[in-house]
Amino acid sequence: MSIVTLRAGSWLSVPVRPRSVAVAVSMLFGLLVTAVLSLTLGRLGLAPSEVIPALAGAATGRDAIVFDTLRGPRLAVGIAAGAAFGVAGTLFQTVTRNPLGSPDIIGLSAGASAGAAAFGLLWTGILPLPLGALVGAGVAMALVFLGTGRGFSSPSRMLLVGIGVSAMALAFVQFVIARVGREQATVLAAYLNGSLASRSWDHATTIWISLAVLLPCALALSRRLQLTEMGDEQADTLGAQSAAARILAVLVGMGLATAAVSVVGPVAFIALTAPQIARRLSRSPGPNTVLSALTGAALLALADLLVQQLPGDVQLPVGVLTACLGGIYLGYLLISHWKKGTLA
Amino acid sequence: MTSPNPTASTLASPVGAALNPPTGVATAAPADRRRRVFGLGAGLLVTLLVLGGTVLLSLAVGNKHVPLTDVWASLTGSGAGYADAVVNSRIPRTMLGVLAGGSLAVAGAVMQGLTRNPLADPGLFGVNAGAAAALVTAAAFFGLGSAATSVWVALPGAFVAVVIVYLVGAGGGRATPVRLVLAGVVVTAVIGAYIQAVTLSLPAVFDTYRFWVVGSLAGRDPGVILEVLPFVVAGLLLALGLGPSLNALALGDDTARALGAHVARTRLFGAFATTLLCAAATAAVGPIGFVGLAVPHIMRAVVGSDQRWLLVYCLLGGPILLLLADVLGRIIMSPAELMVGIVTAFIGAPILLLAVRRLKSTA
Repeated sequence: MSIVTLRAGSWLSVPVRPRSVAVAVSMLFGLLVTAVLSLTLGRLGLAPSEVIPALAGAATGRDAIVFDTLRGPRLAVGIAAGAAFGVAGTLFQTVTRNPLGSPDIIGLSAGASAGAAAFGLLWTGILPLPLGALVGAGVAMALVFLGTGRGFSSPSRMLLVGIGVSAMALAFVQFVIARVGREQATVLAAYLNGSLASRSWDHATTIWISLAVLLPCALALSRRLQLTEMGDEQADTLGAQSAAARILAVLVGMGLATAAVSVVGPVAFIALTAPQIARRLSRSPGPNTVLSALTGAALLALADLLVQQLPGDVQLPVGVLTACLGGIYLGYLLISHWKKGTLA
Repeated sequence: MTSPNPTASTLASPVGAALNPPTGVATAAPADRRRRVFGLGAGLLVTLLVLGGTVLLSLAVGNKHVPLTDVWASLTGSGAGYADAVVNSRIPRTMLGVLAGGSLAVAGAVMQGLTRNPLADPGLFGVNAGAAAALVTAAAFFGLGSAATSVWVALPGAFVAVVIVYLVGAGGGRATPVRLVLAGVVVTAVIGAYIQAVTLSLPAVFDTYRFWVVGSLAGRDPGVILEVLPFVVAGLLLALGLGPSLNALALGDDTARALGAHVARTRLFGAFATTLLCAAATAAVGPIGFVGLAVPHIMRAVVGSDQRWLLVYCLLGGPILLLLADVLGRIIMSPAELMVGIVTAFIGAPILLLAVRRLKSTA
């Protein structure tokens, strides 16, 4: 496969695959189209000529209200959360060397939402919500790590324990909901599935800042992670410090997944599918960080566009759609792994 | 614990049972065997007493606590006043708990024996989700029917879900225990999304099914009990009759055949009994997870791997677990109540973790 190396002086060289760049550009284009469609379609949609003024903050009247309170923050949160899920997924999948090792499958997302529910609704005022979600995610990860009896080395066990940990975490979230907000049951049921409805610019700020801090870390780690795919010894010889790289990657991935969960809830299977799609499209090994981020953003934005434009009055939470489609994809992934014999 | 059988610890899991045939059961000296039967019988009596105590607890504990003496007075027909009314109001949910707990635990035990799979559970295998999806669909398109029609609706749903889980699990060749659970996750995720989509888009269905979808013993129509009873009894009789064949099956298909067991027929009847029990339980109280996984595991530690005893113990142990979970759900956030399905998930999920840890390296 052809690789072009971009050099800046003698200290920076970035190997670039033309195919990856082409895929990334088309993915970005797809994301833009989805974004414009989700701003303009529907009864309340902006006029196409108003999109650019709205982005510049110059919209007026009804368009301004629609953009500022409804579609704008929803889109901004969706794109950033999708990107965060995608990058978290690719980091975890690289560390566990298995597509099934993504945060939504091993119980991390569920743990994060349990933490968010606990510190956001039950024991308010002890920790800010995103930190609470991080605590929940950490506890879930620790349970999965200890529960398998052999760390993250056995994908099947990781999944099984993840199922148990997810079940416990979701039971806990339901407990909190039953205790705190019985009257808002529908709203909270939506949050449990993961939903982009009624997001505010505050949510958007949280997730974009997290992304701005953690995405560069992920990029910085991705070269080293790519080396670890050759095996630890060889990677260490090349200066990858694979053990440290892996721990850092888990931490960064946890941060990204948690940030996303704390603003949109545990949207299922974006973290699982985005890196796999990115990998298949680019045909490149390794973490594919940028492309996974773009794919995750495009997937979540597209899924949200679909649920917004579904016929009927009811707005389904986007997590319902991703769970359905992602579940089917997971089944396909499992069967293909079983056929190849790469998973017990 | 009550078993004098020296290999009891290795028999604690069906995997172990497959490797070490339960020789203690088949070939032990008559005196030994008599002692074992005596011990297990005494254990059964103790379990029955515990169940009785749990039932009393379930009648006494709640938003309004009733002293046990008053509970007894109500039950013997000499109760009066407010306490009597409270106890009577708790009788239906207690009976539902006994029915559903017994059904789910026995169904789990049959599944685990049938597939020689320590991870088998009606919830994990998507049976409950399938039954729930069928019920929600029927409610959305044809309105809500009685519980008896519910069971007839839930049955095909449960059956179809099992078949799909099996097909996905066998999609890559062998349907190993782990593969079946993973297939169950996939199918449950997709079905769950469907249930959410239907309930969230139809407010009337959502209101009715909000508690039912999580699994709750409270607020069900007492008539439900009589309506699902025939299905539960039929399923239980079929399941308990399978005990000897399941014992043979634990030795492997070939050995079982050599011992004269009808492997295919046992599988068919077992699958039918499981579906019947799960569909009835789900129609009555909603999809409750982990009871079918946890109870057989706990009981196997007590009785060893003899399926005949195991099934009877599960029949009593299931109600104990479910009723205790229900009582816990009533006091944990009093005066409000926590749905029992949430409590069982929290209690039962750690059992899954333990079961996974004990899997042999084949996983």
